[in-house]
Amino acid sequence: MADLIATPRAALADVLRDGRYGRTDGTPGLTLCERAELSLATVIARKGQSQALAELVKSAYGIDLPSTPRFAGGQLPDGRFLIFIWAGFEQWLALAEGARDFDRELTLGLGKRALIMDQSDGRAILRLRGPKAREALAKGIAIDLHPRAFKPGDVALTTAAHIGVQLWQVDETPTYEIAVPRSLAKSLWAWLSASAAEFGYEVTSSE
Amino acid sequence: MTTTSANVGETLSRSETSTPTAGVPQPARLASGGLIDRARSLPFSFDGRKLFGHPGDTLASALVANGVKLVGRSFKYHRPRGILSAGPEEPSALVELRSGARREPNTRATSIELFDGLEAASQNRWPSLAFDLMAAGSVFSPFLAAGFYYKTFMWPASFWEKVYEPLIRRAAGLGRAPEGIDPDHYEKAHAFCDVLVIGSGAAGLMAALSAARSGARVILCEEDFRLGGRLLCERGLIGGEAAPEFVQRIEAELRSFPDVRVMTRTTLFGTYDHGTYGALERVNDHIALPPPFEPRQRAWRIVAKRCVLTAGAIERPLVFGNNDRPGVMLAGAVRSYLNRFAARPGRRAVVFANNDDAASVAVDLHAAGVEVAALVDPRPETKPSSVALAEKTGARLIAGGVVTGAIGGPAVRAVEVREANGRSSRVACDVVAMSGGFSPNLHLATHLGGRPVWDETIAGFVPGDTPRGMAAAGAARGTYDLADCLAAGAKAGAEAADAVGFQTRPSAVPQVEPQSAAVTPLWRVRGHKGKAFIDFQNDVTDKDIELAEREGFRSVEHLKRYTTLGMATDQGKTANVNGLAVMAEITERSIPQTGVTTFRPPFTPVAIGALAGHARGKEHRPTRFTPSHEWAHAQGAVFVETGLWLRAQYFPQEGDRSWFDACNREVIAVRSRVGVCDVSTLGKIDIQGADAPEFLERVYCNSWKSLPVGKVRYGVMLREDGFVFDDGTTARLGPDHYLMTTTTANAAAVMQHLDFCHQVLWPDLDVGLVSVTEQWAQYAIAGPKSRELLEAIVDREHDISNAALPYMACSEVTVLGGLRARLFRISFSGELAYELGVPCRHGDAVIRALMKAGQSLGVAPYGLEALNVMRVEKGHAAGGELNGQTTAQDLGFSRLMAMGKDFIGRAMSQRSALLDPDRQVLVGVKPLDPSARLSAGAHFVPLDVPVNPENDDGHTTSVAFSPSLNVSIGLGLLKRGRERMGERLRAVDALRGTDIRVEVCPNCFLDPEGARLRG
Repeated sequence: MADLIATPRAALADVLRDGRYGRTDGTPGLTLCERAELSLATVIARKGQSQALAELVKSAYGIDLPSTPRFAGGQLPDGRFLIFIWAGFEQWLALAEGARDFDRELTLGLGKRALIMDQSDGRAILRLRGPKAREALAKGIAIDLHPRAFKPGDVALTTAAHIGVQLWQVDETPTYEIAVPRSLAKSLWAWLSASAAEFGYEVTSSE
Repeated sequence: MTTTSANVGETLSRSETSTPTAGVPQPARLASGGLIDRARSLPFSFDGRKLFGHPGDTLASALVANGVKLVGRSFKYHRPRGILSAGPEEPSALVELRSGARREPNTRATSIELFDGLEAASQNRWPSLAFDLMAAGSVFSPFLAAGFYYKTFMWPASFWEKVYEPLIRRAAGLGRAPEGIDPDHYEKAHAFCDVLVIGSGAAGLMAALSAARSGARVILCEEDFRLGGRLLCERGLIGGEAAPEFVQRIEAELRSFPDVRVMTRTTLFGTYDHGTYGALERVNDHIALPPPFEPRQRAWRIVAKRCVLTAGAIERPLVFGNNDRPGVMLAGAVRSYLNRFAARPGRRAVVFANNDDAASVAVDLHAAGVEVAALVDPRPETKPSSVALAEKTGARLIAGGVVTGAIGGPAVRAVEVREANGRSSRVACDVVAMSGGFSPNLHLATHLGGRPVWDETIAGFVPGDTPRGMAAAGAARGTYDLADCLAAGAKAGAEAADAVGFQTRPSAVPQVEPQSAAVTPLWRVRGHKGKAFIDFQNDVTDKDIELAEREGFRSVEHLKRYTTLGMATDQGKTANVNGLAVMAEITERSIPQTGVTTFRPPFTPVAIGALAGHARGKEHRPTRFTPSHEWAHAQGAVFVETGLWLRAQYFPQEGDRSWFDACNREVIAVRSRVGVCDVSTLGKIDIQGADAPEFLERVYCNSWKSLPVGKVRYGVMLREDGFVFDDGTTARLGPDHYLMTTTTANAAAVMQHLDFCHQVLWPDLDVGLVSVTEQWAQYAIAGPKSRELLEAIVDREHDISNAALPYMACSEVTVLGGLRARLFRISFSGELAYELGVPCRHGDAVIRALMKAGQSLGVAPYGLEALNVMRVEKGHAAGGELNGQTTAQDLGFSRLMAMGKDFIGRAMSQRSALLDPDRQVLVGVKPLDPSARLSAGAHFVPLDVPVNPENDDGHTTSVAFSPSLNVSIGLGLLKRGRERMGERLRAVDALRGTDIRVEVCPNCFLDPEGARLRG
């Protein structure tokens, strides 16, 4: 039976359909998509190793591991995309595009200084972009997202619609990404789509 | 929210007669003036009568413009009531708005913005407003005084619910609840700012402007649909501009700042800790139906670094006989209807006011062509200002006089006046403009416990200690002069911005004419005729306060509870100060000595729907879906909620008469062939680090260091108090790497507990833990053919034979051609069984592959019902047994406990009470009659003793019908149970009315040697 290929299924596969939703007049206030192809891993500094880990990450990837609620990284010199998102005291969520066996790669590279746990399937990542993204998020997230208070690179661990989420700002458009526990992604979507409907929103299958 | 200021300056000429506008007559509409759009007419209905108003009207102003005086009936006495005020404080003009599922009872006509097609109806009358049979209650009103219900409906107690309550509910009360589920959508939102300004009158506008000009982020909240507060009712000039123009200019500037948010139709209803405020935005209350995708209302949580309270003040009624007759209005409301809405509340007015500000309403009346019959000024010395007003308006000045009573039924016709010399006379009139002074709107300053302070000069309470970060300015802190209000607002706004790092100065204040707000208190008219109301909404009169005092309810809090003064939708906004002043007078104490009642949020009523927002119906709480959900749904699975999870309960097939048939079929499939069940909901915690084995030793009561890599062990976790907390299996994936599983119910609680242990108790341990519940789709594959099924999907290079992967072993494998997976040889069903973990995104494909591969083996999916039946057959403890009151010993785990080490709960588990041999312990029970069905929760009582609590020896915790044994079986907790094997007992279920004889047996009913799971 080795010919059976296990087709992956995105967390929001049965609710997201490309198209225009909510208010129909004018340009959509925001664009939403699920980033289903990412690799994720929890990275925890081993006891007393946070300094050494930071040095290792710097030398391995050229990334300054953030020690405050920020993320760091981006396109690496070799073309790959990798960021470390602060996720609590001496903890990060590492996010990569197009990686294979990401947890193994990280364990190999950082395992001496850090504990690595695969979360690629544990979180659904939603991307929101557009002039009304802040207003839509304000309907459920108790974080001040005003440009003076929350900037590209900033990260927050918070809740939305009674669901624990991790939120970060990608750019000044503004673009945000939200990580939500996979089993709860549909409930988060129910809230987010209801909140965005007033502004009109577009669902796209890729960014 | 109102600010107040008098302006006796310019008079704008107005014609005395009204002319029809837009072709529709509005008999009491002034011909010109007012902030209304005369070009458009809005049809609306009141009690089915079709009327017209204009954009810019409230329901109340449109009723005034149509000459409607009688608007409702009072709560207790069913007295005719009209419109008292022009703001949120309205106690009398309460109507039902809209109809059907959108019906809103007890809505204040003064706060409803008129819209095309508005439907309103009067309340608490039968059969009609004009002819109310219940008004007969007034005849008996001497018996209906405060405390009447408490005294009269005391006994017999059996009458409370059956007779008295329906009777009282029928006679008293206000509107009716809506008939269906609210069809509208509500939402919540969060906002943040440097400076929050509450109220947009003179002080609020200047405060917002000063703060905005500094560059600070400002939110200005206004309850009305138009900014300006009391300025909208002024006819005088502000810095050479008409007041409404001044307001418009400031508003335009405020709206030009990108970081200023002006929120109209938004009531700031509560002050909470740390600069948090609650606000209700009525997004679409001003139209018949919200547009698609828009909410009806939005509840805001506003976090502000600083706050300026400029909420204005509320005018107080005077307490004289029949002061509740329709046509008797607050002076400021009369001014508001005339100047803002161009609506004339009457043709012949009497002004009765104890202060200069309100008396000046005579000028507004005169200018609008209303005859001012008399100016009754109760102040003992003749005020030159009153003399001037009387001269200017042609009114008869009755200095030192009082109105003792209003005359008229459904509307006031005249007033009885007692002059300074004691002579009484009657003055015909159809409107009375009364004012007993003003009370600052300080509610929001007291929500965190600050007490108001009495200010003798304004005869009112002002904010005392305000919450941190809040400053009050303008009328809200007792400043009534317009020039002072403008200056105080500008200063407060600048100071607030400055305090959070925006260097600024108060904005320049325009010139206005000086005014006087001098007041001499008159708390009630002595020797009045007829009922003199203090609280209009609750029908509380001055006599009720006397009665309360006589009966010992002298404290203001007791006064409130005894008389209901200050309760209900208006929370005594117009009544509280008058009420406690009368109490002070009776008890010969000062007002500060008498005290003040506590204000609590919300300032005005807030619909529960707005507080719920999106969290309604199935969105009341989030739902968690399992990786196989879509597949199971397509199979027609019936789902059950287990916590937030939605799990397949059973998979019905054609021919199943009920869940019972499906469940039995699924059990038989597992026991005879193979079944698959989604168990992804179990908590999974990844534990790594050099001290991971030590960590496990400390959190579990059994031992862990001896567990080799590639093996799984069952573990029991205790709470600190020695009782069982949770159980599950933990696999050793590597020397320093474990995967713990928890019960579904305790997944989050165990994670929290472990985090606490790690971070607080043992921060020295080199260990890290993370929940990976969401990462893995986990399927139980159980039954004699389970290995055969797995061999079909596990890639060939992995040996999963009994020798390579024996019972309680685990291994990393790949499935379906290279997909990384984890395979655990563990069993909850008691069969040869495995749990297969795959990354969640592949969960859907893997369940489909399993079912496809298993077709030839007769594979069946099984749900929670079958899972539970099989665990009862095996005697495993679950929810009913892990109930927080059982110990490891109770559940038969004494030998599991490794007493040679320390672990959480060890010390307390050795308490004598927990080792008492009389404790109830886990046993199995079977009915003597094989056809009898056991019920969970039935109590064990020895045979031949009475069924009573003394003879209660325990109860059944879980029961199931075992299709394998063809009999009902049960688990239970029984006193000294292990010594009572074979004993016969009664299982008495008083709730379901059953009494079954059972025999005590070991808790494992099937394959106690475990031959099947080792197969």
